[in-house]
Amino acid sequence: MNYPVWDVPILGSGLVIALIAIFHVFISHFAVGGGFYLPMTESLALRKGRNDWLAELKKHSKFFLVLTGVFGAVTGVGIWFAIGNANPEATSTLIHFWVFAWGIEWVVFLVELSALAAYFYLWGRVSNPLHIRLGWLYAIAAWLSLFLINGILTFMLTPGQAWLNAAGTGNETFSFWAAFFNPTFWPSLIVRTLICLTQAGVFALVTASRIDGQRQPELKTEMTEWARRWLLPSFLLLPIALFWYLAEVPAAQRALLDLGNSTVGQGLFTLLSRLKLVFLISSAAVVAAVYLFTSKRNAVGFGLGSALGVAAMAYVSIGSMEMLREMLRKPYVVGQHMFSNGVRKSEVARMNRDGYLTNAAWVRPEERARWTSPDHGQNSAVPDLSRGELMFRGQCMACHTLDGYRGMRKLLLGRDHKGIANLIAVLHTYSDDSPYRPFMPPLVGTTAEVEALTDFLAAQVSGTNSVPNKP
Amino acid sequence: MLQTVYRWIDERLEISPIIDHALKKRVPDHKHSAWYYWGGICLFFFMVQVVTGILLMIYYRPGPDAYDSVRQITYEIRFGWLIRSVHAWSANLMIGAVFVHMFSVFFMKAYRNPREFGWWSGLALLALCMVFGFSGYLLPMDELAFFATRVGLAIPDALPGMSQLISALLRGGPEVSSATLQRFFALHVVVLPAIFVPLLGFHLWLVQKHGNALPPSEEAKPAAERRSIPFFPNFAMRDMAVWLMALNLLALLVALFPLQLDVAADALKPAPVGIHPEWYFMSQFEALKLLGHVIPGTLGEFVGLGVFGVGMGMWAAIPLFDSRVTTSLRARLTTWFGLLFLAALILLTIIGYIEVL
Repeated sequence: MNYPVWDVPILGSGLVIALIAIFHVFISHFAVGGGFYLPMTESLALRKGRNDWLAELKKHSKFFLVLTGVFGAVTGVGIWFAIGNANPEATSTLIHFWVFAWGIEWVVFLVELSALAAYFYLWGRVSNPLHIRLGWLYAIAAWLSLFLINGILTFMLTPGQAWLNAAGTGNETFSFWAAFFNPTFWPSLIVRTLICLTQAGVFALVTASRIDGQRQPELKTEMTEWARRWLLPSFLLLPIALFWYLAEVPAAQRALLDLGNSTVGQGLFTLLSRLKLVFLISSAAVVAAVYLFTSKRNAVGFGLGSALGVAAMAYVSIGSMEMLREMLRKPYVVGQHMFSNGVRKSEVARMNRDGYLTNAAWVRPEERARWTSPDHGQNSAVPDLSRGELMFRGQCMACHTLDGYRGMRKLLLGRDHKGIANLIAVLHTYSDDSPYRPFMPPLVGTTAEVEALTDFLAAQVSGTNSVPNKP
Repeated sequence: MLQTVYRWIDERLEISPIIDHALKKRVPDHKHSAWYYWGGICLFFFMVQVVTGILLMIYYRPGPDAYDSVRQITYEIRFGWLIRSVHAWSANLMIGAVFVHMFSVFFMKAYRNPREFGWWSGLALLALCMVFGFSGYLLPMDELAFFATRVGLAIPDALPGMSQLISALLRGGPEVSSATLQRFFALHVVVLPAIFVPLLGFHLWLVQKHGNALPPSEEAKPAAERRSIPFFPNFAMRDMAVWLMALNLLALLVALFPLQLDVAADALKPAPVGIHPEWYFMSQFEALKLLGHVIPGTLGEFVGLGVFGVGMGMWAAIPLFDSRVTTSLRARLTTWFGLLFLAALILLTIIGYIEVL
């Protein structure tokens, strides 16, 4: 607990990250897919001598510039802000180890934004070949950005044995490339590239649906057909690529996917099985719906409502897959190295022996003095609540709130002090057969700290907000 | 090969006229066409209901084991939770879709001559859907289901002469018990489907017979300006795509909000705080409550049920009141009546939820 805890009531800090990340993932992938769509469509239109396509494309590029340049950048900064607050220990690790990769990524991002601005503002002002080259510069820069971030994100799930061996020795940077091209790098890169192409297809489909089919039936049919070509192959290949990705995920984490096949119990982690089903259903549904809506017979009458319906299904598919990928990392934030609450795997034994709060920078001296007194503050006039609360804030609040998302009062409802103590003991012992082990980190700390957390939670559940008398 | 099979079947069943009808049928294409999909959406959710209902019956055990069997379905049997959640969510979505379908038919004036029987059979189907919902709600026999059913049955119970009838027919005694459960189960899986399926067939036959109605704004246009598309394959393909969207919505709701099971029902325990009926009964429940403040006691409930009866009668009689195609005072009054009814339905439901939450 070397950093202050970000207390976000009701939502919880994890959900704040998720909410920002959902927008950012959609926009950033759209930026890459659209990056390829713009110069390719422009080239095709010029080859066919279709000025009506070019007029449509110019309109698209303005919308594209605003969405990716403004919302993409703002949500990107938002993610940094949120993860830095929610999990500073993990963010610090990512920044320190990947500093060189981040540096390259920021350069690439600058090229991406500049090229897009130039592409939009230079419509009709430079030669066609140069304009198309600007479009390609944008597309390649955007994809390289994805390439780099993909390496870092996949590292968080599967850092690879070479890096894990070096972790904590000070020689981590010697395993930079092994960590970057980790086991899930390539399947993930393909999955993400396919998602980008589907995003481009969705974008093309929505814009094609707005063309008046009665006045320009030929243009509408052609643009719809062109959009289909982006969408259908990508959605057909996506489940295959995802299965490859999952095959590279460690077996223990992959097992989370089957946790909810037989039950809807066990908190939110059965959600992974349900997300898997949603992903498969929605991917297949998008393919079929696009085929049915945009067949030659229906292309002229393909309306905005139908296009938005397809877009919604596509976002459900991509969103469920992203959520699944993110939850699959549990109980770690960096696979086999750092747990989701910022505790390093290598520190568990030491923290159990010396205490979790022993070196916490945010504990007041008088509090620490009381805890280290012979009676652990049990005879103090002030209830020993703050230690339990600090344990809760430090080790639980990365994923739980008291009353909102994954709210502890609701999850522990019906358990008395003894029941909560038993649960906490299971989390603290962290045995191999613990039902919580697949998705929850161990609870670390001395016996006194663990008891303090039990007292705090029992008081929250009973609604007294005060610690029960000790026997 | 296919041609040979088709000829073989056609010689025996004479299906050619049906196929010809489907191929020649056209569907109006205009800016309100989206409302034409809602009937199909209702049908889709009904088919989901049938399939999942049959699957649930494999493991569900009505009677004293009912709660335990639902617990097994939800927490032990592989994908049992999925079937149960899909069944429950599609039931809610179906009733929601039927409401949307009813109001779209109403505001497009699709109940007018010659479609009166379509309107009446549709209303009967909605009423049956709601009884399906009410009877299915008790089947898990958990605390919420038990007390909600007790409250629901107590409303008509207060009317003179009704108590004994309800006790004898539905409850199987003075109190909701496993005897009630058996009756509700029989109602849910035998009696209601036996009425619903033929009525649905009649409703669909009427739709085929009369075709899709044009809204007044389209009817006002000269025939040459009206557009239409073939039912098969154009509209049918779009219909399928909309069904896929409905399936997606269903999958999302089931994944994010799967049905859990409350504690087992205990008649000796007090009713939990905030017990309330399902959303589609909430407006009626709230209206009765509000009326109870004005006219307390049995008389209030009697008056309330009387008002419902008259209101439903007026709603059903709309095709007889507004039967002319031309714009008239009656047509305008009918539209205002529909808007008032819709607003009351939404408002009372919202007030109901604000009070119980």
